[in-house]
Parts: sequence; structure tokens; C-alpha cells
Amino acid sequence: MENIELALTLLIAGFVIVFVVLILLIAIITLYGKIIQSAQNAVSNKREKKLEENKEKQTVKSIVREDIEEDDGAIPEEIIAVIAAAVDAVYGNKPHKIKNIRRSRSVRSSWGNAGIAENTKPF
Amino acid sequence: MGIFNQLGEIIVNLFRDSGLCSLSWENYVMIVISFILMFLAIKKQYEPLLLLPIAFGMMLVNIFPGIMGNPSTTLMTEQQVIAAGFDPSSYTTTVFDGVTYYNVTKNGGLFYYLYQGVHLGIFPPLIFLGIGAMTDFGPLIANPKSFILGAAAQIGIFITFIGAILLGFMPKEAGSIAIIGGADGPTAIFVTSQLSPELLGPIAVAAYSYMALVPIIQPPIMKLLTTKKERSIVMEQLRPVSKLEKILFPIVVVVLVAILLPDAAPLVGMLMLGNLFKESGVVERIAKTAQNELMNIVTIFLGVTVGATASGTLFLTPKTLGIIALGLIAFCLGTACGVLFGKIMCWATHGKVNPLIGSAGVSAVPMAARISQKVGQEENPANFLLMHAILMHAMGPNVAGVIGSAVAAGVLISVLK
Repeated sequence: MENIELALTLLIAGFVIVFVVLILLIAIITLYGKIIQSAQNAVSNKREKKLEENKEKQTVKSIVREDIEEDDGAIPEEIIAVIAAAVDAVYGNKPHKIKNIRRSRSVRSSWGNAGIAENTKPF
Repeated sequence: MGIFNQLGEIIVNLFRDSGLCSLSWENYVMIVISFILMFLAIKKQYEPLLLLPIAFGMMLVNIFPGIMGNPSTTLMTEQQVIAAGFDPSSYTTTVFDGVTYYNVTKNGGLFYYLYQGVHLGIFPPLIFLGIGAMTDFGPLIANPKSFILGAAAQIGIFITFIGAILLGFMPKEAGSIAIIGGADGPTAIFVTSQLSPELLGPIAVAAYSYMALVPIIQPPIMKLLTTKKERSIVMEQLRPVSKLEKILFPIVVVVLVAILLPDAAPLVGMLMLGNLFKESGVVERIAKTAQNELMNIVTIFLGVTVGATASGTLFLTPKTLGIIALGLIAFCLGTACGVLFGKIMCWATHGKVNPLIGSAGVSAVPMAARISQKVGQEENPANFLLMHAILMHAMGPNVAGVIGSAVAAGVLISVLK
């Protein structure tokens, strides 16, 4: 009899506690989801507004071949196109202009640098 | 002649020490059961990652019970120590009735030491760390109402508890049996190791067997409780979830659960730590280790040692049959409660929720979600509950079920321990 009382108590307590904890989680996650969404919407709206203002003042300038300083060994146009695309991917809609492209003086190759960075990165 | 006598003595001693002489019929039955489980794991691929080490551990402990033997200390006199070929100076002494005895210690078996990870409740939270590092809580964050289905599927646990009490199990045993309904192996092992470690073998085997049988157990219940129209409901696409939301989620969950239910903190805490490793994106190496190397190592130790608890004399009892029957009832009730709450949500949202996603509330990630998708698609081939709408929608209650079963485990431990 005592055990059956315990079983019924556990049924009710378990049911209530599990639901209360998970409903609290629903409330908190819904709330912070809305806060984050509205904050992000506000930031993106601001960015769009700024972009429109900037568009009126100046147009995004394309890369001008003459602007690029060349070394003795000229940088091929394909490489310039790739670098321009990478810069564009990073800055996105922000107005930007590439003024200069120089060869790296590094003795180590980019792959070598990447390997060292990966292996020496602290935990 | 002397050589023949010595040879005969050696053969007799070998026979006495061998399993042929020392093993009981229960051990032989368990060895056969372990062969069947190995067959199911290898040939049928039923939860092989755990069933295979469990079955092997089961076989090994029934052939050589000493592998799970406890460490022991024997009191010996100096003459006995010297006669046994030991050095008396290496042992501490105890004086008893004026006689000095040497405390000759004997180490435990290999699995005894590995088993401490289960006994002390270390391995299941480590498995949860790996699960957290592999889980995407995005669908749950996008639709937090899924938590209701994750909670509903836990009702089976508490109803089964009553059934176990009525069948004559003690409350702690009943709690360990009922948690099988959560369909979460590490949670079932964690609760059992805390409440009734002697039932670990049958409960682990039952829990993992039913998880492997999800594709067979769940669909008939799902079809029985839903109409064709309900099963055909196509759910709307979930909203995208930002990285910031995903990073905040584990922190919020662990703070809330650990404050309200500290007994659930080891499981939920490690689950969420693993998830934070994944979502933060700054500790990629640790996240990879948690979900691969660490998880695999712990799975091996957990599997073999849990299997090793299933020695013949402990396993082959009427209790085991009760555990297997009650475990199945708990599992079916969990599925049914999830689907029924899915139906309530369907009614409350005027048909926007497909009730099939409710069955995914019993953890068993991701199999239960896949079954929701499969049953939904049988009715409406254009319905993708998992991949587009149903799979992603079903993953919400599925991962909510993991959190729900950990919370239910916390309730059982705090009330019964």
C-alpha cells in the first residue's frame, strides 16, 4: 500500500516536474529567440538603410587595372579576379575599393603557414 | 611412472580450473544468449555499436567469472605467507587475538576496474558529452513547442513505475525498469547504476534491444492512434535559426535544469557542454574528439562492462522476464503518449501539426525521427517530415526527448535514492 502511494505520488510529481521544466524552457527559448530575431532585424534594417544612403552618394567602384601596383613579375589577371572576389565576399554590400595588390614576401608558402597556425593554435 | 602420475595430476588440475568443471548451467545458457545477441548485432545490425560489446562482455563473464571479481584481502599467518611464496615484508599486518596476520591483497578482475566508470556514474555522462557534440538542436529552437512532445513521451516512464510496483518490484528497482521507457540507453544505465546496480545487465539489454526494435514497435502504435488524414498533414518549413541562438541554447538549458533539478545536472550538463563545443565553433578539435575518439572509447568500456554484469545467476531469474515485459510496456506507452499529445497539438493548431512527430519524443535519436518520416511518407509520398518539413519537425521532439528523459531520470533519482 505504501509503495502504491509512492508510485501515484511519483506519477503526479514526475508528470508535473517534467512538464513544468520543459514548458519553462519553451517560454525562455521563445523569448530569447524573439529578442535575438528582433535585434538582428534591427541591425540588418540599419545596414540596408545605410547602404541605400551610400549608394546615393557614391557607387561601388570597380577594380581599375591601373590602380594595382605590379611587381616586376606581373600578377596575372586571373589572380586579381580571385582576390577581388574574395574581398567582395568579405565586405559584401559595403562599398569597397581595392587600391593595391602586392606579392607576399613570406619565405614560407601559404600552405606551410596554414599548417603551422593549425598545429600551434592553443587549446 | 612418476612422470605419468605428474602428468595425470596436471590434467586433473587443468580440468578442475577449467570452465567445464566450474561453470553452472546458467552460465551456459547465458553464453548461448550472448551468441544470439552477437548474431543480432552483426547480421541484423541491431544497435551493433553497443550490442556487440555488451554481448561479448556477457560471454566473457560467463566463461570466466573472475574477470569481474572484486579485489579481496586475506588474513594469513607468517608461515602461510612464506608457504605461498610471498614476501611478508610487502604486506601490512593486523594483530588479532594476539596473533599477527598479514593482509594479503588480491587485485580484482579487469572488468571490475573498468566497471567503476559505470558504477560511479561516469560513463553515461561522457556518452552524453559526445551526443551533445553531435546533436543539432536547431529544429527544437525553431519550434520550442516540440518540448511538449518530448515531455509527453516520458509519461510512459511514470505509468510503468506503477505497473512495476504492482508486480512486486521494490521502488528503486521499479524506477530503474521504468526509465527504459525513455528509450535512452545512457540514461537507463545512469539511473540503474544509481538506484539498483544489480539489475544493470537485464535493463541495459532490454533498453538497447527495444531501441533497436523501434522500426518494428512504433509504426503499429502510430497507425493505430492516428487517422490517414492526420498522417498526411504536411507541416510548414521551420524558420532558420541564428548561430547566436544555438550558442545560447545549451547555456540556458543547463542553467535552468541544473537549478530546478540538480540530479539531472550530470547528464544534461554534459549533453549541453558537448553541444556548446559544437555550436561555439571555437573548439573544433575538442568537439571532434568528444563525438569520435572519446565517445568510441567510452562506448567500448560501457558496453563490455554492462554486458559483464549479466552473469547467469543474476540474469536468469523471473525478475528479468518482468523487466523485459515492463520495458516493452514502458516503450509502447511512451510512443502512445507522444502520438496522443501530437494529436492534441494537431487539434489545437487546427491541423498544422502532424501527430506522427509525437512518437519521436521517445529519445532513440535519430531512429525515432526517421520512423515518423517513414510512416508519414507512406501516406503522403510528398511529405518530408524529416528532410524538409517532417524530418526536421520530427528531430525537434526527438532531441527534446533526450532532455526530457534526462529530466525524468533526475526526478526518479531525487525521489527514490
